[in-house]
Formats: sequence, C-alpha cells, structure tokens
Amino acid sequence: MSDKYQALFDSILEGDVAGTQAGVNQALAANEDPAEILNQGMIAAMREVGRLFEEGEYYVPEMLIAARAMQAGLAILKPHLVDSGIEPSGRVAVGTVKGDLHDIGKNLVAMMLEGAGFAIIDLGTDVSPERFVAAIQEEGVDIVALSALLTTTMPSMKVTIEAISAAGLRDNVIVLVGGAPVTQEYADQIGADGFAADASGAVTVAESLMGI
Amino acid sequence: MTQNGPMTSRERILASIRHEEPDQIPVDLGATPNSGISAIAYFNLKQHLGMVEGHTRVYDVVQQLAQPEDEIIQHFGIDALDIGRQFNTADDDWYDVTLPTGQPVQFPEWFRPTRNDGGGWDAYAPDGTRIATMPNKIATFFDQTYFPYLDGYPADYNNLADEMPKIHWAGLAHSPWDHAAEPDFWQQLREKSLYLRQNTDKALMVVAGCNLFEWGTFLRRLDNFLTDLLLEPAEVERLLDALMEIHLTTLENVCQAVGDVVDIIRFGDDLGMDTGPFMRPATYQKLFKPRHTVLCQYVKEHSNMHTFLHSCGSIFKLLPDLIDAGFEIINPVQISSRDMVPEQLKKEFGDDITFWGGGADTRRIINHGAPAEVKNHVRQNIETFSPGGGFVFNTVHNIMPDVPPENIIAMFEAIDEYRN
Repeated sequence: MSDKYQALFDSILEGDVAGTQAGVNQALAANEDPAEILNQGMIAAMREVGRLFEEGEYYVPEMLIAARAMQAGLAILKPHLVDSGIEPSGRVAVGTVKGDLHDIGKNLVAMMLEGAGFAIIDLGTDVSPERFVAAIQEEGVDIVALSALLTTTMPSMKVTIEAISAAGLRDNVIVLVGGAPVTQEYADQIGADGFAADASGAVTVAESLMGI
Repeated sequence: MTQNGPMTSRERILASIRHEEPDQIPVDLGATPNSGISAIAYFNLKQHLGMVEGHTRVYDVVQQLAQPEDEIIQHFGIDALDIGRQFNTADDDWYDVTLPTGQPVQFPEWFRPTRNDGGGWDAYAPDGTRIATMPNKIATFFDQTYFPYLDGYPADYNNLADEMPKIHWAGLAHSPWDHAAEPDFWQQLREKSLYLRQNTDKALMVVAGCNLFEWGTFLRRLDNFLTDLLLEPAEVERLLDALMEIHLTTLENVCQAVGDVVDIIRFGDDLGMDTGPFMRPATYQKLFKPRHTVLCQYVKEHSNMHTFLHSCGSIFKLLPDLIDAGFEIINPVQISSRDMVPEQLKKEFGDDITFWGGGADTRRIINHGAPAEVKNHVRQNIETFSPGGGFVFNTVHNIMPDVPPENIIAMFEAIDEYRN
C-alpha cells in the first residue's frame, strides 16, 4: 500500500470516523481511483483489523469502532464506486436463525464482510427459513450466512439448509455458519459450505469459497 | 478425613476455598443461578428418578431455572445452598403453569407473563414497558428487550434506581430479591440464613450481583457499551460511579444482615466471550478493576464472607487482575472457550483462586455425549482441578434443557468415584 492512503488506513485502524471521512474526501478530491481508495485504503485496513483480532491484540471494542469508521468512509465512497461500475465482491444475506435474538456476532460478521467489499443484506434476528429462502430468490445473494448463539437454536441452521434445498436453491448459494456453539464438525454434519470461528475468519472463508 | 471423622459440607467447601484438599470433592448444584439446573432438565431428571413428590419451581424466571428441592440436595449430596431458597416456601407462593414445551411447572405468584403470537411469553414492567421476551417455543429463557440508555447517557442519575427494575435481571429477580421491597426484608434475610445455619451443615451463599460491566451493557446495550469503553470513557466512569453508590448500599445491608452467618457472597460480571475477553486487559484495569477492588475490600472488611465472581467466557487473560482485585472464587470456568484449558488454569492460577465450575462441559459433552463419555470427561476434570483444593465441582454454568437425565446421573456417578 502506498503512502498516499496511510492516513486513511490509520484512521480506520484507530476507529477515527472524522479522520476516515476526511481521508476519503481528500482522496476523491485528488481524483484517486475509487476502487483503489477502497482496496488500498479501506479493505486493507479492515484486513489488518481482522489480523489484529485473531492475534489477540484487538478486541471487540476496537473492531467495532474500526468497522464503524469504515462504514462512515464507505458511505461517502459508495456513489463513486457505483459510478465507476465497481461491483461488490459478492452479495451476502446475514441473519440469526429462528428462535435466537442475539445479533452482535452476526453484526460483526456483516461489518467485516462489508469491510472486505461484500454487499450485505441484513435480515436481522429470529429469521425463519422461509425468509432466508426469499432473500435468495429475491435479492440474488451469493452467500447466506447463518448465526446462532445457543445450542438450542443451532438446529434451526439445519432446518434452514433443508428449506433452501427444498426450494431447489441449494446449488445456487454458498451457506456459511457461525456462532459460539457452532463447530466445523457441526457445519459438516448439516451440509454447510463453510464455518468460521469469528468475524475475521468469516471473511477468509467467504473469499475462499467465492474464489476471490 | 479430619480428626473427628468426615468433614461437614460447610467445612469441605471452606477448606477447598482455603486451598486445603478436603476429605472429598465439594459439589454444588443450585447455590447460584449460574451453577444450577433448568426447569425442563430438572423436571426430566425427577421423572427419570421416579421422584413423584414435590414440584418444579421456577425460582429464576429469567433463566427458567428450578430451585433444587431438599430431596435432590440430599440425593446427590450437594454441599452448598443459596439462602434465597428459604423464601417462597409456602405452597401459595406458587401457581401451576405449563411451559410452551409442555412440562408442568410452577411460577412465583408475582410472575404473570403474557402469551405472545410466537407461542412464547412477554414480560412487562408495572408501567407497561415490555422488558423481556421468550419469543417462541424454541426459546427457553427470557431475553432483554428494553434498554433505558440506548440513545445516550442521561444528564444525571437521579432516576437510575427507577430505571434498573426495567431491566429484567432486576425487575424479575429471583429470591431472595423478589422480597427486597418488604420493610423487614433484611431481618427476614438474617432469620432465614440463621435457620439454614442451625438446621443444615451446608455452606451458605448469598447471591448478590453488583455487576459493573454488565449493568453498562444492560442500560446501553452491549454493542453501544463496548464502543463507549473506547469512545466515551468519561461517561462510562460517571455511570460506574452511580452504580457503585447503589451497589455499596446493597453491600452494606448484606454484610450487616448476614455477613457473620453466610459463607460466600456471589458477585457477577460476564467479562468473557468465546474467543477472549470482551475488552483488552488495559481497559479492564482502567475502568473496572479499581471498582471491583473496592467491592471485594468492603466485603473483607465488613464480613466473614468469601468473594465469588461469576464471569462467563474466556477470561484467562483477565485472571491475574481478577485475583489481584480480591476475588477468591471464579465461576463457571468455561472450559469450552479459548485459553480456558483446565491444566493451564490449574497450573497458572490454582494456588491463587478457587475454581467453582469447570467440571463438565455443557455445550457439547454433557448434553450430546454418551454417558460413558460424560464420565470420562468428568473424571479428567476432577483429576485436573481437585489436587490441593481450590475446586468446587459444578457443570460449566446451568444444566440446560437439552441435557438428558442419564447424563446428569452419569456425571454424579463419576463424581461419586471421588467421594466416600
């Protein structure tokens, strides 16, 4: 990454919303390529945030404020990306499964995926299998990301995958699962395509499965 | 064995807290609302054991936990009791209700949730605010729905004491706190504690909370409070100071009422998630440790009670500070979370803190394992944690609805291999 994006990169890393907005505006004013601003100044910063979290140097507060700074910058950049014809890396429908109201993990995954260049459709919590199916049918998603915090709501993941299959859509979509009680073993058991132990890992798995 | 024969339950627990290996491993089931059993699992267990007398009384309505009855305490040889069990002992303190999942149980007389469209329940504050929900039949406990300071910090905390009951943990509190508004509450608390002291040989626990980080999350909502720690530390400190005023008043009353009778005071503050602490140790040290230290110090100076902290999750990185703050006992010892490896915990901290929990993993093993696997797992944890004392056996947090009775019995059979 060249020096011209260092200040923007650092602002995101530090969760500095004003600094991020200034950095994006300055880069745009200097006629920098929006895709380059995104990739080198912002996605690269969020990748570093993810790495720091996995290494145990960043915690959820640091990750949350970095993600919010990223979102603030992205809000300014988005129209320019659209104008330039820049497409997101993929479209992801995220939701916490039926019976489960917990959302912070799911929100973190959404933020980190957005920080990596994915477009997010957030279905919220207590999401029925039917709503996930509808999201695939109506929103053209590439990935469905299911979250569950409880061993008692994990079975809803299996039911959701079965509903996607029953609708004839299983081959059209990548299914990712995650949440505190979820394991790779469980993901394999229920026929999910991928699993990650945390929001940063979700980005790695999503990109890998999309062939990015 | 002591010189005079086997220890009493109380002696056993106190010896272990002093890091002396007791005559046999001490065991808890239900002395706190983080070391007990869900109503559904309790009902199933009693059915399985053929115990037809008595009731499944949901004494903690938020988490839908059963109060273990005397027969169960005796059957499994439990060594500690919550003094709150001496409240609501009359039959007309309870009424019959059927859970969405079909089990016949009893709720406290004061708890009247309304059925919702999802097939679950909603609970309301007296002013009509919906404060908690069990959204449908899959849910087996109540989730908080109302966050008083969601939109920001208030100019002052004159109304804090009025807002706190709109958090379900306070507004729908388990015994003894559901009687806290009664004019003779502290006297009752003392009398009932003395009754247990005089009529049982169990160690006695008073379940206080005095949560700091968690009250921040209850009032602001978890995601907001986590970012507040970094972006609004002055506001966080102002809130914590207001909470400390309330908590210290509670502590003063508890110590005065039962500080010479009860053995352990349970504080609560979930500081860990699955993959690590919620915050970096430096943040804990700056914002919470000084205040936790004040709480522990107060108890030490004004009572004979030992300090117990309930803190879920991966807190290995915070343990040195928690020990330094004055917590003598840690619970539930979430061994399924990162860094919380029994051997490492015992090696690093075994001399400095008592592990109350860590006996059986509730996420994967005791719920989904075969009885033989449960037994091996329990044996391994006992052999790791018990040498030299500093260990009270409990599952990792409450026994949840999906734990089969056969596995609970297998767990106790393994425990009994280490008891006389």
